[in-house]
Amino acid sequence: MTFIQKYMKGDRVIWIIAIIISVYSLLAVYSSAGQLAFRYKGGNTEYYLIQRFFMLAMGIALMFVAHRVKYTMFSKLSVIGLLIAIPLLLVTLIMGSNVNGASRWLAIPGVTSSFQTSDLAKIVLLIYVARTLAKKQEVIKDFKEGFLPLVIPVVLVCGLILPANFSTAALLFANCLVLMFIGRCSLKHISGLVGTAVSGFMLLILLSYAFPKLLPRLDTWKARIETFAGVKDKEAVVVEKTSTEALNEDYQVKYSKMAMAKGGLFGTGPANNLTKYSLPQSYSDFIFAMIIGEYGFILGGIVVILAYLILMYRAIRIAQKSEFAFATFLALGLCFSLVLQALVNMCVAVNILPVTGQPLPMVSMGGTSTLFTGLTLGIILSVSRTLIKNDESATAESDH
Amino acid sequence: MDKKKDILWRMYILYLLVVIVGLAVVWKIFQIQFVEGDKWRTMADNMSQDTFLVKPTRGNILAKDTSYMAISVPVYDLRMDTKAEKLNTETWNKHIDSLSFCLANLFKDKTVGQYKSILQEGRKGKNQYLLIKRNVTRREVEMVRTFPMFRMGRYKGGLIEDEKYKRVKPYGNLAARTIGKESNENVQGLGIEQAYDEYLRGEEGLRLMEKLAGGMWRPVDHDNTIEPVDGFDIVTTIDPRLQEVATTELDRQLKMHGASHGCVIVMEVATGDISAIANLKRNEDGNYYESFNYAIGEATDPGSTFKLATAMALMDDGHVKPADLISTGDGSITYYGHTVHDSHKYGTISVQQAFELSSNVAFIKMALQHYGKNDESAQKFVDHLKKLHLHEKLNTGLPGEATPLVRNTTDSLWSGFSLPSMAFGYEVLITPLQIVTMYNAVANNGKMVKPRFVKEVRNRNQVIKTFEPVVIEEAVCKPTTVDALKRMMEGVVLRGTATNLKGSVYQIAGKTGTAQIANNGSGYGMNGKMTYRASFCGYFPADNPKYTCIVVVNAPSEGVYYGNVVAGPIFKAVSDKIYASSFDINQAFYKDEIAAVKTQTPPSKNGYTNDIKTILKKMNVPASGSSNSTFCKTARAEKQMNILDITFNKTQVPEVRGMGARDAVYILEQLGFQVILVGKGSVKQQSIAAGTSIGELNTITLLLAQ
Repeated sequence: MTFIQKYMKGDRVIWIIAIIISVYSLLAVYSSAGQLAFRYKGGNTEYYLIQRFFMLAMGIALMFVAHRVKYTMFSKLSVIGLLIAIPLLLVTLIMGSNVNGASRWLAIPGVTSSFQTSDLAKIVLLIYVARTLAKKQEVIKDFKEGFLPLVIPVVLVCGLILPANFSTAALLFANCLVLMFIGRCSLKHISGLVGTAVSGFMLLILLSYAFPKLLPRLDTWKARIETFAGVKDKEAVVVEKTSTEALNEDYQVKYSKMAMAKGGLFGTGPANNLTKYSLPQSYSDFIFAMIIGEYGFILGGIVVILAYLILMYRAIRIAQKSEFAFATFLALGLCFSLVLQALVNMCVAVNILPVTGQPLPMVSMGGTSTLFTGLTLGIILSVSRTLIKNDESATAESDH
Repeated sequence: MDKKKDILWRMYILYLLVVIVGLAVVWKIFQIQFVEGDKWRTMADNMSQDTFLVKPTRGNILAKDTSYMAISVPVYDLRMDTKAEKLNTETWNKHIDSLSFCLANLFKDKTVGQYKSILQEGRKGKNQYLLIKRNVTRREVEMVRTFPMFRMGRYKGGLIEDEKYKRVKPYGNLAARTIGKESNENVQGLGIEQAYDEYLRGEEGLRLMEKLAGGMWRPVDHDNTIEPVDGFDIVTTIDPRLQEVATTELDRQLKMHGASHGCVIVMEVATGDISAIANLKRNEDGNYYESFNYAIGEATDPGSTFKLATAMALMDDGHVKPADLISTGDGSITYYGHTVHDSHKYGTISVQQAFELSSNVAFIKMALQHYGKNDESAQKFVDHLKKLHLHEKLNTGLPGEATPLVRNTTDSLWSGFSLPSMAFGYEVLITPLQIVTMYNAVANNGKMVKPRFVKEVRNRNQVIKTFEPVVIEEAVCKPTTVDALKRMMEGVVLRGTATNLKGSVYQIAGKTGTAQIANNGSGYGMNGKMTYRASFCGYFPADNPKYTCIVVVNAPSEGVYYGNVVAGPIFKAVSDKIYASSFDINQAFYKDEIAAVKTQTPPSKNGYTNDIKTILKKMNVPASGSSNSTFCKTARAEKQMNILDITFNKTQVPEVRGMGARDAVYILEQLGFQVILVGKGSVKQQSIAAGTSIGELNTITLLLAQ
């Protein structure tokens, strides 16, 4: 207990949520990795459990380290980070390893696992936006002085992520917009930016009909949206070669629903939801459906959703208390990025949104994502730690 | 503070949105679970999915020259869905007669009427899996696909092709037992197929499939597929040419003598590679088949071929020298009430002669004299046999090696009878493969190598594992003993029991053996008649041993039973064939001719310039007048080859005389001729003279000669 009191500072609720989500991750990965384990390790599910355990431990370790750092440090680091991330994104786009036609991964020499560059770019960009917003508060309504310095890096980073990963680029863009909105940017400017971005994207799509290499995943996006909207019936999709991925996604949604329906109020119990063998990506994109299937509506669905909602609430509490604009924007922006991703993942699993491939932060299997989630939570905690310290010293002063 | 407020209300709006989305998710889950719940649950329960095994293709077994000795070929069971979804009555009635006709015509196993009634019955019984024919080849399937009705495809025509694999041995009976059989649920596998199964079998794949309407299965998702890994190829040491000779000759001799069974093993001296291994057994129909691997699976009393081991022991221990004299008395010897005879009375002979003439008496006497004092001295003899590893299996890896027997003096069944019996090859049980390995050690100057059946494991063309030759014993005896034994074995052919194997070009060295057969306790003799096992084991060429070979023929029943008469000719046929076809052995014999070729310009055909230049370069023949035309003429000069241009034009018949058939045909066919070839060799005459205008001509005959 003393260790926790002495070293684990900051918002205690956030710590608890991080631990709870990690436990869900372990449970879900253990039972849903059936497919992967079946395929790569001759049915040895423990292999994935242990691997996952270490990944989560590393994520939490990173969270611990980050929360001990004074949060203002991240402001400076974000400038350097951005200077690293942008060239890295370029490199990844040109020579990254290709997973399912999307070059999102960069193989790091000496490290066996590949590294999703956009995860780094995301966190760096959000901190940078928070920093700039805070600095420019006085002139924020001014287009040239306030808005433009914010927008340029945002467009640059999102634009570089876009060709390989539309959903991540769009989410990050939305995330930045929300942060700008909170940061008191002019609504006129924001809507102007949205309009420009949409028409720019349209133009890009038109161009890509002429130069198909520009957007290698355009066919997938099209097919995904069409499948979601029910534009094509199944048989028509079968015929089209490029749409096989979409067909499997249609199938994923179907099995996702079956898995959830089988769960009922209390779930089938761990490793009992047999549809997991047929639910593709049940260890990643559809892990939420998996959790509901095995742990039920209440323990699986409500609790997980609540965990993310409470997380968001805690970030708002931090923002409320904070005296400094940077702390407010930092905590809120980062936390919202996690919650937004979680909501999108859940919406996909329950078929509110078309398939996007966004993992459930901290829960889905995936190394880079877990580490960066840990880092993000760590930074939020660092802000909260500073606030609590200020509180304590304030109370101490008033006592005298 | 205004700013702070401004920020705060924006934050609350955001949070409100987040909560709304969260509630939407909850609502949607509720809908899926409870409102639409039954629908999804029913679907989940009825989910017809199954994992299917995907069979890998078994690896091939290759001969030394990488030709196929055992391969998997696809065969098909043809079936018909007589109630195929889109197969209507009209189509059925229209095509049923022509389909029946085509099937009967192709397979010729049933009449048109029979096929028709089978199909009609099937449709009447709504059979969706009606068997048409089993084990159909790929070529036949391709023809069946073009048949009326079937050519309309699976849904309209109802043809079902069930693919499976059949193991085929392209060389038929050749080494069939050694190549063996893969095991299945009922039968234990045999031979190389069984021994190297871990490499051959590959890994099964798994595929998750979903059942679609209409009973078809569709693979679900690539996440759920484990691709099968095809098996590796095994490259054996078997040389198909030698194997062919061995099998044919064995078959001929077995038939000639009406023998019950026999085997031949050919082993390469330096490596222990088994170049040929033939096992034939008479079947009830009187023909011979590979039905038991006698070469490795039958341990018996070897008889006189075992005298090599006795002679080795006696000389290695310094007890006798080849020139030592020994009296064989009246050609018989009696020990413990048992009398052994020599086939002739030899009187006093040298040890060398005793071996060459295979005197049982001499060997018994020598053994008793030098090892018969007590158990301790007898054990010395046994230790020699152990040094030859005759008491243990060779562990070649092939299944079914018989357990040999060489008794220790401490064995409870050891008796005074044992030593003299062992001296001439009785009271021991040894397989032919062990004997040939022992002889091979002598041929290999004392170094005993393990028989090797498999050289390499390959993944397609890439070698992934090599089995190196294994040395069992660096020196089984002293070098002087090896030399003496070699002289003795040469003497057997030159002066002894196998003079019929004496050759003019090269010499064989070896030892005959004629053992009396003991039939499991029923005594020596079969149906009251004496039966024998004739054998010959040796190596060749005697002066530079390359191959060791053993021939064993069992129970020759037509009177001729001596090893040299029955087994010898098989040996000679095999060795002649090897000798005639292997360049490295022949080199010595043809050395004068080879030298002559080296100093003279060899004759050459006319032909494709690049080929000719390459060949000349390889043979170190200088070429001059480097031709630039595609084809050229060659002219021999004393120290070089002159190359001259040949040019063709499209209107005149070209000069193809002096060319190889391949080049000539190529040139003429280019000009639109149909070429008829007569004879063999290079072109000596062409039916239409060069320079004739081509015009309407279209057939030309070429006369070839060496």
